[in-house]
Amino acid sequence: EAVVSTQSTGFRTVDVDAYDEDNYEDDARDTGDSGAAEVTERANQVRGLLNQLKTKEALKMALKNPPVGNKDASVKEQNYETVVSVLKSFKAADIDAAVADLDMVEIDILMKYLYKGFTCSPDKAASLLQWHEKVVAKGGLGSIVRVMVDRKGI
Amino acid sequence: VSTQSTGSSGINAEYGEFQTFQLLSICYFDPEHNWWVSKHIKKPIRSTILCVDWHPSNHLVAIGSCDFKCRVFCSALKELGDKPQTSNWMPKLNKFGTLLAEFDTNNGWVHGVQFSPSGNQLAWVAHDSSVNVVNSANLTKVHTVLTSNLPYSCLLWMSENSFSAAGFNYCPDLYTVTADGVTFTAKMDVKKEKSGGGAAMSAMARFQKLDVQGQSETGGTTVDTTHENCITEIRALSRNPATGAVSKFSTSGKDGRLVIWNFDALSSSLGGLKI
Repeated sequence: EAVVSTQSTGFRTVDVDAYDEDNYEDDARDTGDSGAAEVTERANQVRGLLNQLKTKEALKMALKNPPVGNKDASVKEQNYETVVSVLKSFKAADIDAAVADLDMVEIDILMKYLYKGFTCSPDKAASLLQWHEKVVAKGGLGSIVRVMVDRKGI
Repeated sequence: VSTQSTGSSGINAEYGEFQTFQLLSICYFDPEHNWWVSKHIKKPIRSTILCVDWHPSNHLVAIGSCDFKCRVFCSALKELGDKPQTSNWMPKLNKFGTLLAEFDTNNGWVHGVQFSPSGNQLAWVAHDSSVNVVNSANLTKVHTVLTSNLPYSCLLWMSENSFSAAGFNYCPDLYTVTADGVTFTAKMDVKKEKSGGGAAMSAMARFQKLDVQGQSETGGTTVDTTHENCITEIRALSRNPATGAVSKFSTSGKDGRLVIWNFDALSSSLGGLKI
């Protein structure tokens, strides 16, 4: 008959990597990004600008200070919704002018939100792809690379 | 534990260094025992070192590593009678292995790092497609360019005010440095478009494309740069000893090509580009 071990197999569930002192830990850098209050305030301001049909200003405001370091997923979610609400409000013909107004840092943030959109909102893929084309025209492959190497996630 | 790369300092043939996982070894030749001795710098390096460069004085060394940081250490060896000077990098004399500066601006592995000809400036390129420069007169201000191309893997200072970076975009790019920052100046591979490719590709051309570019489809994405794959190294071939300006440099890449560039000739075709 088969040999049965009489010893405990608990050792198999030990996470040996946790004991490795050479283990690399990504340090939590203080990136000075926004907390829940700022995100809510921004959502209100953006809504106000959209009501006044100031879409370009709304976009710049929405892309300010994303809550990258924030551990609260709902805060990140809220900011994402703010950005999406702005993207939705644009007519296709106006995207070019809006993207032209953005600097490289804003381009990178927008690109991160676009990729988040591809994952979280696949139903919006068509309009996101329109934005993607315009943002790549300005930000190039470099802005896509920076989405890929980003460790914190937006 | 494998050796990532080696280098030797310019001035003095007694030095060498090699990098391994998380460790920088500064080696010197001990004539008394007829062997090379290595001294290690380990703290606070948290991951594999990808690139190394000596300061012109030999007493400082800069590294870029996979923990996304660029660091400068003191490498003065009292065993060799080194008498380091204080400088903006090292305001007071420190011992071997002291961390003098740490730059944490990147989200990507630091692929290439180099001191400028005077040693006063330090530039590095990282996998987040960025190019970074810092002047030792103001170590808190790192000038960064978030480029729109694929990441660079290597760089070479062409003069005190400009450097060339090359990598996954297959082309050496020239950047200029001023007191205000660093800006992209020009792509240095100015070439006419290659003809050919397309459906009727010969078997030989197909094999070459697979070998050199790593691509098997015949639908022509012809490459219009001299290099057909990532450039991995860039080195100066001739440098003016008085000004430190480079007139010729070479690049080598994953396409197996070694290309020699005549910078003086390039400047005229790029419209009077000055470095």
